[in-house]
Amino acid sequence: MGATGAEGSFWTGHMAALGTQVVAAVTPGKEGENVGAIPVFHTVRRAVSAAGPVDGAMLFVPPRFTKDAVFECLDAGIRLIVTVADGIPLHDALQIRRAALSTGAKVIGGNTSGIISPGKAMMGMFPYWIERVYKPGRIGVMTRSGSLTNEVTAMVVRAGFGVSTLVGVGGDPVPGLRFAEALALFEQDPETDAVVMIGELGGTMEEEAADILASKAFSKPLAAFIGGRHAPEGRRMGHAGAITSGGVGGARYKMDRLRQAGALVAERASQTGILLAEALHPNTKNH
Amino acid sequence: MKLHEYQAKAVFSQHGIKTPEGKLAQSKEEALQAALEAGFPCVIKSQILRGGRGKAGLVQVVRNETEARNAIDFMFAPEKKVRNLLVEKAVNFTREIYLSLVPEPKSGTVLALACAEGGVEIEELAKTAPEKIVRESIDPTQGIFSFQARNLAYALGLSGDAAKNFSSVAANLYDVFTKNDAELAEINPLFLLADNSFIAGDGKLAIDDNALYRQKNFQPDAEDFDSDIAKEASQEGIPYLQFDGDISLMCAGAGLTTTVYDLVVDFGGTVANYLEFGGPNYRKSLKAMELCIRNKPKVILIVTFGTIARADVMAEGISEALKTLKPECPIVTCIRGTGEEKAAEILRSIGLEPLYDTEEAVRTAVQLAKGGTR
Repeated sequence: MGATGAEGSFWTGHMAALGTQVVAAVTPGKEGENVGAIPVFHTVRRAVSAAGPVDGAMLFVPPRFTKDAVFECLDAGIRLIVTVADGIPLHDALQIRRAALSTGAKVIGGNTSGIISPGKAMMGMFPYWIERVYKPGRIGVMTRSGSLTNEVTAMVVRAGFGVSTLVGVGGDPVPGLRFAEALALFEQDPETDAVVMIGELGGTMEEEAADILASKAFSKPLAAFIGGRHAPEGRRMGHAGAITSGGVGGARYKMDRLRQAGALVAERASQTGILLAEALHPNTKNH
Repeated sequence: MKLHEYQAKAVFSQHGIKTPEGKLAQSKEEALQAALEAGFPCVIKSQILRGGRGKAGLVQVVRNETEARNAIDFMFAPEKKVRNLLVEKAVNFTREIYLSLVPEPKSGTVLALACAEGGVEIEELAKTAPEKIVRESIDPTQGIFSFQARNLAYALGLSGDAAKNFSSVAANLYDVFTKNDAELAEINPLFLLADNSFIAGDGKLAIDDNALYRQKNFQPDAEDFDSDIAKEASQEGIPYLQFDGDISLMCAGAGLTTTVYDLVVDFGGTVANYLEFGGPNYRKSLKAMELCIRNKPKVILIVTFGTIARADVMAEGISEALKTLKPECPIVTCIRGTGEEKAAEILRSIGLEPLYDTEEAVRTAVQLAKGGTR
């Protein structure tokens, strides 16, 4: 949805170029037009009835229209939805999350770049041509930050690894899909040997991931990097969700919880790859 | 966007929650006049967004004119930076209660928190005596049920008319929360009076910035910013935080900028400002650097790893900014991502040495800020 806009059509083209099967676009009032070779429909219901069942929906819709778009997709039976919108109102995000839980849908985002399996497919906006970040491999990545993803994943690739699937859960206070739920998916994924979690201050998602790890429901190595160790209390560090208040949500606390649960916790981005190498190849040095 | 107490109370009143009789005063004369009209004892409250007003003497109960004068002089002292005082009649209460509403991200609900002891710091209580906090999860698609309000009331040990009246306050506060796109609505303390009615002693209300487009009643004003530079950045749509250290951060991406902040502190440096010119702002290098320079930093540190934000466009902007603004302080650059080869060429052509490693860039900046050389 929103694929006829400048940004939407640019990234829709790249999604197809990487190998994603994009079968229909939706923009009200533009049925009959095309985005590249992709036919445009007025509504999601019309798109699905013409193109047949789809696996997921990619939303390049502005934040104030995102709630409506998500509910339109849910209504049409779509159960995987990625929304990149930065600035979704909090109360809309609460209702989106509530709807995701009650329908069993996976809503990824907002405020994210999306999801990508390098070399295969993507839903979102990733510069997959940057090889020192988006190299295919067997490490799963889940992240709250786009810019930090490049920084940390480059270190994972430098250590000799590549990425199976990267899930951007996004930087908002109420994401549609949480780290703990992404971890459960990586647990089942035969193409993922270990996971890197790129978190930051604010919220409780990293603590929930620690709980999953401690309960042994996630059995693969988990490496974590958490931004905002020195962030001052009560200041919102860029992302809407990146704020510590009343001593809750501090990066240090998250790191301690993860360490106690058995995660490999990197103090700096540069250590992430090294920690993974030690966990996955304990008998070899020099990664 | 956090509202002042008097603004929060005005919203509460509109939604049927009683608040003490009071007047807003902008000068010492107005404040004294308001105190004399209210009669003694009355409460004089500084309207600032900082916490800990009580401990700092910025909220005082005064019993006579002399005490009122002293309190007003104290609160309006220039270094306190208080612009408004709220002068209220003192309330005779029999009990104090805590009540708040916050989003609960995991379940996609609104969480009501209540406590039989008002005036407490809820975060403190959550750590020391969590069993004293009563909770109720409200489904935003259903709204608050009457039974949920009753659950809270009886768990707080209220009964009879007090329980009924509390239920109305809870329902009204939920109305405040949803109709105003709040991220926090709190009444602390909520006074119970002898006639079993309730009155909001203090109020906190924070509005979701992302919803301001549909909440036209709330627009930030100058005093909501840490500095003039912060205000200007906000008008430009550039995320900015004011600090008072040596190194100006001019970075792209929220997560990366936050991490660069961490590294500066790790390596013993201090931050002058946090500025993020990635995403939709990557063509604003000139404005970004202008804002940084106004802090008179010892170093400007530029770190990016762009996804959509093209490195060559940012480098071009930096080149233009250097020519236009002629900054006196050294500039450290670490610009990576799409178009980084061309970006490196541009940076070299203006005499900057492009770095590729974030930690190395931060170390260099910290050394330069301490008077060292590259």
